[in-house]
Amino acid sequence: MSIGGSDLDKAITQLRACRPIPENQVRELCYKARELLIEEGNVVGVDAPVTICGDIHGQFHDLMELFRVGGDVPDTNYLFMGDFVDRGFYSLESFLLLLCLKVRYPDRITLIRGNHESRQITTVYGFYDECLRKYGSANVWRYCCEVFDYLALGALVSGAATSLSPTDGPIADNTNIDSLPDPDSEIEIETLNANGEIMYRYARNSDSQSNTASQGTSNPASSSPIAPTPSRTGPAGTGATSSANGSSRNDTGAVLCVHGGLSPLIDTIDKIRLLDRKQEVPHEGAMCDLLWSDPDEIDGWGLSPRGAGFLFGADIVKCFNHKNDLSLIARAHQLVMEGFKEMFESTIVTVWSAPNYCYRCGNVAAILELGEDGSNAGFVRRSNGERGGGGGGWVLGSNDGPNRNGGGGPNDNRRLSSVLGDSMQRTRDGPGRRYRVFEAAPQDSRGMPAKKPVADYFL
Amino acid sequence: MAAQEIPNLKTLLASRRGGPPRGRGRPRGLPHTAHQGSGSTTSDALRDNAVRGTDQDAAGSRVSCVELGYLHDPYARLFATQAATRRLPLLNRGTYVRTSAIDTLVDNFLTTAPATPKQIVSLGAGTDTRFFRLRDKYPDTHIVYHEIDFPTNTAAKLVNLQRHPQLHSKLSSVSSKAPPNPLSLPPAATTYHSPTYNIHSLDLRSLASDDDTPAPMLPNLDPSTPTLLLSEMCLIYLQAPVVSKILATFLQTYMPAPTPVALVLYEPILPNDAFGRTMISNLLTRNIHLPTLLTYPELGDQRQRLRSYGFSDGVRAADTRFIWRDWVSEAEKERVAGLEMLDEHEELDLLLMHYCVAWGWRDGGEEHVFERAWKGVGEQEDG
Repeated sequence: MSIGGSDLDKAITQLRACRPIPENQVRELCYKARELLIEEGNVVGVDAPVTICGDIHGQFHDLMELFRVGGDVPDTNYLFMGDFVDRGFYSLESFLLLLCLKVRYPDRITLIRGNHESRQITTVYGFYDECLRKYGSANVWRYCCEVFDYLALGALVSGAATSLSPTDGPIADNTNIDSLPDPDSEIEIETLNANGEIMYRYARNSDSQSNTASQGTSNPASSSPIAPTPSRTGPAGTGATSSANGSSRNDTGAVLCVHGGLSPLIDTIDKIRLLDRKQEVPHEGAMCDLLWSDPDEIDGWGLSPRGAGFLFGADIVKCFNHKNDLSLIARAHQLVMEGFKEMFESTIVTVWSAPNYCYRCGNVAAILELGEDGSNAGFVRRSNGERGGGGGGWVLGSNDGPNRNGGGGPNDNRRLSSVLGDSMQRTRDGPGRRYRVFEAAPQDSRGMPAKKPVADYFL
Repeated sequence: MAAQEIPNLKTLLASRRGGPPRGRGRPRGLPHTAHQGSGSTTSDALRDNAVRGTDQDAAGSRVSCVELGYLHDPYARLFATQAATRRLPLLNRGTYVRTSAIDTLVDNFLTTAPATPKQIVSLGAGTDTRFFRLRDKYPDTHIVYHEIDFPTNTAAKLVNLQRHPQLHSKLSSVSSKAPPNPLSLPPAATTYHSPTYNIHSLDLRSLASDDDTPAPMLPNLDPSTPTLLLSEMCLIYLQAPVVSKILATFLQTYMPAPTPVALVLYEPILPNDAFGRTMISNLLTRNIHLPTLLTYPELGDQRQRLRSYGFSDGVRAADTRFIWRDWVSEAEKERVAGLEMLDEHEELDLLLMHYCVAWGWRDGGEEHVFERAWKGVGEQEDG
């Protein structure tokens, strides 16, 4: 049985309804996917505009919500940073749908590997059991694991605009309209809720007074109960002098996307390209680190409590970004109650796309949209259908932003800085970043099984 | 959904960690629903089923922990006869922290003034194995152990006691004459009494009656021995005023001052943040209600609550995240971390900070047994 053309579309339709496809179709799909993925480098080149997504973890109905909020494939160009499977109840449907979309629209969706795309991890965290339950044998799990071995390890997004054009979407209820920056200002960050309503904006050069309050009142996620937000007492001298922040460079650097983070064995992106990735995720080494590491408020490198990968501090990120001409690292891997979290003066961001993770954590999810640099296009349609940002598009990034490294007013809103970091003292213009925040799909549409497979709480 | 429902105490209490009192540890087909005559409705039956499911989860979690080496408890699997499913590392870690935290407080109590007899009352004990573990660990300490639970739970426990020689051989007393052999109990027995180990078949609410009905007699409960009351996910299922009355019965009637008495609670906290709200709503869908969670949402409320019961000499509280970090030695942390790769740290932190251990005491006499026992145990500053 072939799964080309209309068969593929049929499979997509079936999977969109959260119904598994037959085993022979899975085999065929996985074969085709491998043929496609083997042609990709370890670091896939992706052009903006692109919507970057974090962990999905088998939360199929929330993935559907993600597509509703972010636009459908192929209208929106997507980059998923791994962890498609495990934990949720629909790893199989979620991964196979993404894989079908990849085979059907290879240039409109990029999948990179997460640490859960591994034989060992999936046998502990649910995907293996799910395949066994749904097919009666481990064959499908085996096919999927073979695909995992071919997934790229990272992606490099180029051509992202330095600033956003404001959407003309409505202002969210809780947002203080007076707190939004002047419409003419260069918008560096904008956060929208699932209905495309503006929750807050952050202007690149505005004094911070004008745009902190909105976050304070509109961010739906109260302060995260996870590890206390590290204090950001200002990064005086932390690498801010190392960058040539002169007027000669006014475009944004590239954005590296990777599931976990950096590795002490990797100082250039070219070294990632040299890895032999077509294998099970090793227990140590560069490939393992890229999928397992986490940024942390430390200097240099530290041991990870996960037992794989490393912790790395702001100095490591700034040095790596400078050396590789990056303006930002986007990564996933860690639950963030607010859906996203920028750290280290916005040199790295965690994007988390599994709302109410494990149906238990109560968090919101986010996706990150990077617009296209306007140097050759002018206006790029966000083909988001009728939903989303009220038809707003990405307008040209204005590339002549003045040097704003002179230390803008300190951001006095703790909650804002807890999510956004302090972007006033970046060494390199980051891309304009639009975060769309969304909650879990409504319970009734989720079709949760009556019997939970695990003990959720201690009783 | 369940605001209008009155919690079925019987089934809720059965859901403590101990594991399922029914349908396990006895062959299928034996009668185990006879007790359901009291107001049994379809909704009760459904609730029973839901809770039975969580019971099996809880018992399985414990066995999972034991089999993976988190906990040493040779008795856990005697009460959980189904094949054990391996739990997620996150849950194993949480079960470990909970059990070892309570072990710490109990151990410190038993090793303080070792010559003094000690009494432990486990509320809603279910299939808890603590008595048997303590017998192994402190063979020479004079411990009088009491478990209180509903007849369904105590009957199931006695069936297991009768079945397993490893259990009933532990019942012989250090000092006194041979205790009754549980094998001699009638098949439907729900109580067991001996100088060291007592199983009381009792609805805890009967200790909170409003009228002048005297509190039920609890055989072998000594009114003057220093006593530790344990509530591991038990009192949380009762209404706050009922809990107060139960505590008053213990502190004023069963063991009046100056008998030293302490209470150790293990239960969830922080119902009002995103995780807490999700927890409440998820548990409601399983027909599990936690009435005092909203009454005592934070550590400070837990301390205040203990004070109000009359634990006037000390009240302490810490969430289990703090306990993992502060109570567990570095070597032990390393050992536990090495058992399984844990890829859920953020979630683990969330989970652990939503459960607490709170402990308070009234020392009464000159010995200051509880103050001495727990003076080195760190509590959380904030909250």
